[in-house]
Amino acid sequence: MTLQQQIRANRFRTFLVLVAFGLLIASIAGAVYTLYNVGVGALVLGIGVAYGIYAYISSGRMVAQLTGAHPVTREEWPEVYHLIDTVSIAAGMEAAPPLYVVDDPAPNAFAAGRTPATSYVVVTRGLLDEMSKRELEGVLAHEVSHIRNRDVRLMTLAAVLVGVVALISDLLARLLYFGGGGGGRRRGGGSQGWILLVLAIVTIILAPLAAVMIQMSLSRRREYLADASAAEITNDPEGLALALRRLELDQQELRHVSQATAHLYIETPLRNASGPAKLVAGLFNTHPPLAARIGVLEEAGGFRLPATLPAKDDVEAAGA
Amino acid sequence: MAVAFVLVAILVALLVFVGWLFNRMVRLRNEADTGWANIDVQLKRRNDLIPNIVETVKGYAAHERGTFEAVTQARAAVARAQSPAAAGEADGLLTAAIGRLFAVAEAYPELKASENFLQLQNELSATEDKIAAARRYYNATVLRFNNAIQTFPAVLLARAFGFARREFFAAAAGERELPAVSFQS
Repeated sequence: MTLQQQIRANRFRTFLVLVAFGLLIASIAGAVYTLYNVGVGALVLGIGVAYGIYAYISSGRMVAQLTGAHPVTREEWPEVYHLIDTVSIAAGMEAAPPLYVVDDPAPNAFAAGRTPATSYVVVTRGLLDEMSKRELEGVLAHEVSHIRNRDVRLMTLAAVLVGVVALISDLLARLLYFGGGGGGRRRGGGSQGWILLVLAIVTIILAPLAAVMIQMSLSRRREYLADASAAEITNDPEGLALALRRLELDQQELRHVSQATAHLYIETPLRNASGPAKLVAGLFNTHPPLAARIGVLEEAGGFRLPATLPAKDDVEAAGA
Repeated sequence: MAVAFVLVAILVALLVFVGWLFNRMVRLRNEADTGWANIDVQLKRRNDLIPNIVETVKGYAAHERGTFEAVTQARAAVARAQSPAAAGEADGLLTAAIGRLFAVAEAYPELKASENFLQLQNELSATEDKIAAARRYYNATVLRFNNAIQTFPAVLLARAFGFARREFFAAAAGERELPAVSFQS
């Protein structure tokens, strides 16, 4: 698949995602209409559509808020900016995206934004602390590829829309639990009314699941493609593979993360989840396993990584 | 009647296909042009840095005239170069000349410790990283463009439309080849 084909495919999928989420919101509104009345149903529909439009316009900013990322200036991080400058030039970007940081010791990174010009790359404090320059370059190239391939708009949009569906369903589930649909009306009364009621409840429970499935279908192949682009940009598949191995070996977990933003990151931030969250993360993994991604890079570059890696300081000392 | 209809349909399909090939070649050529412009920007930036570095070294080691002259000449050759291949060759000579200049600087501890010299050295190495990055992109676009105009059936049209092969920005040996990466999984 060429870059142009992928960009075009992404544009089409963005449209599909918008339609799919529109349908989801409509079915939730339908369920609410069954449980309560036309007014509440219309209200949910209205809020859903308005929020969707708002999300489309300001998705970049919202993701920064959701993940707790804030911008970093060139003066603060001259070396990291130098890396992202060279990576952007090698990727043929018009300008290097600005860098954001999340104050978190777990290493991870992602890119977000609605257009290439307004996109930004986010790294965690832990990524900078743990990665050598070569590995960091691989990670940055992966994120810049997501921007260049126009993956970010789709992924950013999916993040905010998954968020809104989850929010509405959650709210309705609580209403059902506490209110039991009280104050509303039971349509028809008899058995037909009960069927409708059950259908409505099932819809509300399944809607967030459907949202997550849409999100999941978007991200898995995209990660392989971004890895391939990154290897081409840096001409160093081993650097990225080393970075992925380091992520694999790291056991820390990001603090501010939700299912809605999980697919944005270079590696899944939810793998250490427990309880119901773990079940969901396992069923709907947004990322291919790191070992598989490293394997593809190993094959392309004709090298084998060791099972363990020396610490960053030893790597830099050996390289200097 | 039916035959005429089929003939017209084939003709239209052929025209659409030719148009698609043409647009593809134009797009790839524009990408290569952008890639070259990126290299040019970085080469100019480095050429602007060099006189400052030469002056700084001169302040400590005025008698190393031959080294300064070699750098100045190589710099002028890069500025004069008309084609990517010529620029690539001049770039190689300039890099070597700068290497010798820094080797000279090694012998002067005060110069090596000078704040100004260190900053210039850092800027130069940052610019050289960017030249290398721009070269990777440019050579990748040239490879795509050349493949596009030399393969069948586009090769039949390329000459008629005036698409000619592009030169690579010659790199040091071993750097030019991109790894053949296939990630279809």
